Amino acid sequence: MVARKRLRWVGLVLIALGVSFAIAFPDSARQAATLPLLASFSLGRMAAAYLLALVFAIAYGTTMALSKRAAVVMLPLLDVLQSVPILGFFPAALVFFVATFQGHPTGLEIAVIFLIFTSMAWNMAFGVYESITTIPKDLEDAARVFALGDWLRFRRLVFPAMVPKLVYNSMLSWSNGWFFLVASEIFTAFGATYARPGLGAFIADRGDAGDVAGILIGVGVLAAVVLTLDALIWRPLSIWSERFRIDTTGTGQPVPRVSGVYERLAWLPRFTRLRQWLGSRVRPLMERYSRLATRFDRATSAHRQVMRAIRWIDLGMFLAIFVVVVGSGLAGLSTLLLKPLPAAAYTIPEATLRSFSRLALAYAVSLAWTIPAAVVIARNPRASRVLTPVIEVSASIPATALLPLILGFAIAIAPSQGTGTELAAFLIALFAMQWYLLFNLIAGVRAIPGDLDEAARAFGLRGLAYWRRLLVPAMIPSLLTGSITAWGAGWNALVVSEYIRFGGVRPYTVTGLGSLIDIATFDVPDSEVLLLSILTMVLVVLAMNKLLWRPLFKRAIKRYRLEG
Amino acid sequence: MSPVAAPFLEVKHVSKSYFEAGKEFKVLETVGFELAERDFVCIVGPSGCGKSTLLRIIVGLDTPTAGSVRFEGKPLVPENPQVAMVFQSFALFPWLTVEQNVELGLEARHDPPERRHAQARKFIDAVGLAGFENAFPRELSGGMKQRVGIARALAVEPLLLCMDEPFSSLDALTAQSLRDEILQLWSTPDLPPKAVLMVTHSIEEAVYMADRVIVLSNRPGRVVAELEIDLPRPRNRKEPEFFGWVDEIYSLIV
Repeated sequence: MVARKRLRWVGLVLIALGVSFAIAFPDSARQAATLPLLASFSLGRMAAAYLLALVFAIAYGTTMALSKRAAVVMLPLLDVLQSVPILGFFPAALVFFVATFQGHPTGLEIAVIFLIFTSMAWNMAFGVYESITTIPKDLEDAARVFALGDWLRFRRLVFPAMVPKLVYNSMLSWSNGWFFLVASEIFTAFGATYARPGLGAFIADRGDAGDVAGILIGVGVLAAVVLTLDALIWRPLSIWSERFRIDTTGTGQPVPRVSGVYERLAWLPRFTRLRQWLGSRVRPLMERYSRLATRFDRATSAHRQVMRAIRWIDLGMFLAIFVVVVGSGLAGLSTLLLKPLPAAAYTIPEATLRSFSRLALAYAVSLAWTIPAAVVIARNPRASRVLTPVIEVSASIPATALLPLILGFAIAIAPSQGTGTELAAFLIALFAMQWYLLFNLIAGVRAIPGDLDEAARAFGLRGLAYWRRLLVPAMIPSLLTGSITAWGAGWNALVVSEYIRFGGVRPYTVTGLGSLIDIATFDVPDSEVLLLSILTMVLVVLAMNKLLWRPLFKRAIKRYRLEG
Repeated sequence: MSPVAAPFLEVKHVSKSYFEAGKEFKVLETVGFELAERDFVCIVGPSGCGKSTLLRIIVGLDTPTAGSVRFEGKPLVPENPQVAMVFQSFALFPWLTVEQNVELGLEARHDPPERRHAQARKFIDAVGLAGFENAFPRELSGGMKQRVGIARALAVEPLLLCMDEPFSSLDALTAQSLRDEILQLWSTPDLPPKAVLMVTHSIEEAVYMADRVIVLSNRPGRVVAELEIDLPRPRNRKEPEFFGWVDEIYSLIV
């Protein structure tokens, strides 16, 4: 009841703010009226990319988990794809798609969806793979003893087992996707600006016009869309996915049912009639589906040879494509490396170092504020109540959407334009990195078992000793998980943070790998410098993952994991 | 218990070895026995004697290195629909309700939905879980979970019911009441299975439940003895004859 009342108040305040705003700035308000439509365009792109990513992830992950032979090739490939900063390829891919469609909007639309797809797919495929390979043996045995056919096995065992990780990774993928969407809806190349109508393009356009109110409205609508999706889809889904968690130890625990979440939304109209009507339409469909599934299952189990042949053909096709792609890539690379390096290539080491130090600084600042903040939020219920909504709203805004605001702010407070741009690049990296750390750390502190905490207190551990002996060691695994994700996001952000273009002729740039990539694509097209820069970035990211994060993570898991 | 022309289940010279780093680890060595209809047989042995491996071979989850398993005179096919199994860890699908779990084998057999529901309800009632059809396994106690496991196995109307240490994960009191209920079910003549084969490490449990006890030796498992337990039912654990059997088997194992 209280929550409902509060929600009503929030709604009223928002409406009042909106109305007074519209009266104060009529022009911005007129602009804002188109926002729902723009938001639905952006949402449509996200949904299309997500569906593609979902189908891909399930197919790729399942194949990899069920065939050891396929996994030999597919697993390392996925590992590379996941570590690669996709935004590095982003300018090149945009140019490719736009050129292929000769500037037709379809090309841009496909490019945007493709790029969002690449930001969503890999972690989901990994989640699918991990869930299938960790299905307990006794469930596999039961499936065999009761002679479940392939399709039934997928429906009853394999798919349910992947639901928790699929839902969790979908949430991650959507927040990645928003970041890319905003960055990809508008771009300038060959002296022309290409844009598709959407929230991202709107924000960038308002930024060009210097319309701060417009930017704020755009960012607000974006945050509202993200938060609404979160409340209506992802929260209920993640509670529902609890049911699919494999947990053999539990007895007599209640299984969370989704209805609990909808109770919070009880103030929404219910449309009982409409739901009944829909139900009466959907139920026969479900029954028909069930009957069809049975028939399909019977057919597949009757034709095992055919099914096996189909699977082999699939695999063969995949391998052929893989060989062609990797082969041509290697061939192109070797011809490139055999030639003398272009002059611009010699700037790559310095650019790499600069980008790296920028990210390292942003990482250090993130650490400095997120560790104490995480402890306070996880430990202090009042702080959690007050700060959690604030943090969730801020984190729901992709860093790319804040670009114009951050740049404006940085230029305004910095003594010169150079330092201002440098500050903006740092701030964008900070915004891209910090949330991953914060959320992982909060989860890490919350996961500290109550008995350990009580033991620490009972033995009088306080102050520094309490931090050294309990908090810090307990946080280390989640700190590393957060760090890996944060650095990944940081590398991705380089392409948008080091080269910011606003209306004016000259873009705001700082020296770095990201700006090198952008300049080689847009300003002075140079495919060799572009390829070498991307390659450098990929190598640096892979090296950091293999040589730094993975060994650290392994040691941390061994030493600091909390077992219940 | 006179053997008929083609034994109901015939385990012949079954051996099983694992190979690791070029070394052979023998788990079972030329194990052989027969099961007739209306037999309730327990396999006992010290832990690690390969009794669970033997059961896995019989239900087709594992293949023997040598020897054969024949069911009603025919070689055993993997995923034999006439053999059902109850697992030590219950092996219930956590995301399916009690009823959906029980229907699993029927769904695999492509039974129409109406028949599946009727059959599942019948066996859920039989194991005393009426009213829990829509509960999830996580919401049930250990004893109730194993009842679901038993109902799931019975629902496919198997000719042979195999149980792998079905009471080991339960507390002593729950285990005892479930043993009695299984014996009660077994004594109703219209219950589908024609024979029950149970693996256990508890000698008392074997003497309490079985018509016949097959004793396996320490690794590699060999059949040390086959004993016909001729105690009248229901058996009383306090009687000296009961202890006599337990002691005899105990001396065979140690």
